[in-house]
Amino acid sequence: WILAWMGLEINTMAIIPLMAQQHHPRATEATTKYFLTQATAAAMILFASTMNAWTMGDWNINQISHPLATTTVTLALALKIGLAPMHFWLPEVLQGLSLTTGLVLSTWQKLAPFALILQISQNTNPALLTTLGVMSALVGGWGGLNQTQLRKLLAYSSIAHLGWMIIILQFMPALTLLNLTIYITMTSTMFLSLKIMASTKINSLALAWPKTPTLTTLIMLSLLSLGGLPPLTGFMPKWLILQELTKQDLPITATIMAMSALLSLFFYLR
Amino acid sequence: MALTSARLLTRTVHEKWICAHSLTLRPLVCINKAAFYGEYRRPGQAQDRTPPWKKIRFSFAKGVQGIRKHFGLLKDEAMERWVGPQGRPLIEHMLEQTRVQWEFRGPESLEQWLVSTDREIGGRSEAYLKLGRNDSACMLYGTLCSTPPRDGETCYSGYCTLRSRQLLSSFDRKKNIDWSSFNTLYIRLRGDGRPWMINIAAETYFSHQKDDLYNYFLYTRGGPYWQDVKIPFSKFFLSSRGRIQDNQHPLWLDKVSTIGFTLGDKADGPFQLEIDFIAVCNDRAHTEEFAYEMYKRNPEV
Repeated sequence: WILAWMGLEINTMAIIPLMAQQHHPRATEATTKYFLTQATAAAMILFASTMNAWTMGDWNINQISHPLATTTVTLALALKIGLAPMHFWLPEVLQGLSLTTGLVLSTWQKLAPFALILQISQNTNPALLTTLGVMSALVGGWGGLNQTQLRKLLAYSSIAHLGWMIIILQFMPALTLLNLTIYITMTSTMFLSLKIMASTKINSLALAWPKTPTLTTLIMLSLLSLGGLPPLTGFMPKWLILQELTKQDLPITATIMAMSALLSLFFYLR
Repeated sequence: MALTSARLLTRTVHEKWICAHSLTLRPLVCINKAAFYGEYRRPGQAQDRTPPWKKIRFSFAKGVQGIRKHFGLLKDEAMERWVGPQGRPLIEHMLEQTRVQWEFRGPESLEQWLVSTDREIGGRSEAYLKLGRNDSACMLYGTLCSTPPRDGETCYSGYCTLRSRQLLSSFDRKKNIDWSSFNTLYIRLRGDGRPWMINIAAETYFSHQKDDLYNYFLYTRGGPYWQDVKIPFSKFFLSSRGRIQDNQHPLWLDKVSTIGFTLGDKADGPFQLEIDFIAVCNDRAHTEEFAYEMYKRNPEV
C-alpha cells in the first residue's frame, strides 16, 4: 500500500505542472482544486491502509479486510476518479484545462486508481459499490443536461461511465476492465477530434458541418457510441453489464442504470 | 481570611496565565477577519468587533417568506433543466448571435444596479440613478469632486461608479453569466463627452483575485444622438485594485459576474450618462483572441 500510495502521489505531482502550463487563473484554479482533491484521497488511502495494517497486520493491497479500512479506501478511490457523490471537482477542473490536458485527466489518470480498485474489488462492501454506481450514473446523466461547454459535458459523461464500471465490479471485474478500455478509446477519440476542431462549445460544433464534414461525422458517431447506441461499440459494455446485473437478480438496479443511460443519450444526441 | 487569600491568589495566577497566553490564544480564538479580507475602514474608525451572533435579527415571518422564495427558485431551476440551458431551448442557445443582457425599461430594472462614489472614503462626489424619459433608458448623473478628504491618509479622490448586482440563484448562491457564445460587448448610450471605463468582473477562486477587473475605455460623445459602442472582449485588459497587471490574460466569458461603468477623469463638475441597453453579440469578422502581449518573449532565432 505504501508503494501504491507513492505511485499515486507521483502521478498527481507529475500532472500538476502540465495542468498549470496555461498561466491563466482558471488553469491555476483547476490545478489547485485537482491537487487538493487528489491529495485528500491519497491521504485517506494511506490512513485506511495504515489502519488495516494496525488491526490486521497486513500491508498487501488485496488483503485489505478491515471493514472500516475497506470502506475508507473505496471512498478515497472514488474521490480520486470522480465518482458521485465525490464528483463535484471534475467538471470545474476539466473546464479550466486545455483539451489535451483534459484528455490525459480523463483517461490516463484513471488507470492507477482503477488498478487499485480492481485489486480490492473482492473485499469491498457490495452495497457501497452499488450506491456509488447508481448515484454516478444518475448524476452523470442529470448534470450533463443543458451543458453547453463541451469539457463539462465530457466530465459528466465520465462520471456516468465510471458509475457503470463500478456497479459491475463486484460481480465481474473483467467487464469493468472492458468498459474502461472502451471508454478510454471513445473519450480519446472525442477529445482529439475536438482538439483538431479547436472547439470547446456546443455552438461551434453546430457550425462545423460545412468546414469538416468527415470529422463532424466521426464526432457524431463517437458521441452515439458514448451514449451506448447499438450497433456501435459503446453499446457492448452496457449490454453485457445489464445482462450480468439481471443474472445477479438485480433487475431494479439494471432498470435504473438503463434509464440513466437514456438521460445521457439525450444530451449526447442534442 | 486564609480562604479569601487563597481565592485572590488563584485569581491572580489565573489572570497572569491569561495575560501570558493571550498573545498566543487570541489568534486561535478570535480570527481577525479584517486582516484576511482586507476590509476598508475610514481613518479613525474603530474595527467592528461585534460577534456575528449579536447581529442576527430573527423574524419568523421573514424566515417563512425566505424559505418560500428560495424553494420556489430551486423548483424553477429544476424545471428549467428540462427546457434547456438557462431555461431556454437549446436551439435558441445555438442560433443566437445577440443577447440583450440589461435594458432599462422600468423601475425594477434600476434595482439590479448599484451606484457608489468616493463619499464612502470621505469625498464629495455625488451620483444618482434614475429612469430617463418614457422609462426607456437609465440616467446616471451627478457631480464629480476630486478634492481629497482631509483625513491624513487619502491622497486621491473623485470617482463614481455604476455596477450591476451579482446575480443570485436559490439560497443566495452566486449565479454567473455565460457569454462564451459571444465576442463583443454592445452598448447603446448617450454620454456627455467624458471618458468612462467599463469594468467586467469574472468569477475568481483565490482571495488575492477578489479585486481583479477587466477594463476598457469608453469615450462618449456628447450630443443629442445615441452612441452605439461595440467593444470586443479581446480588448479588455486585467487590472487589480485599479492597477494594470504585468501578466495579462484574456477574459474568460463563461463565468462573468458583474459589469460596471466608472468615471474618474479628474475633471470636477457635473456628469451625465444615459444607457439604453447593454448587450453582447457575436461579430464573426472579429477573430482576435487577445489584444495584448501575444508576442512570444525570447523567441527562438
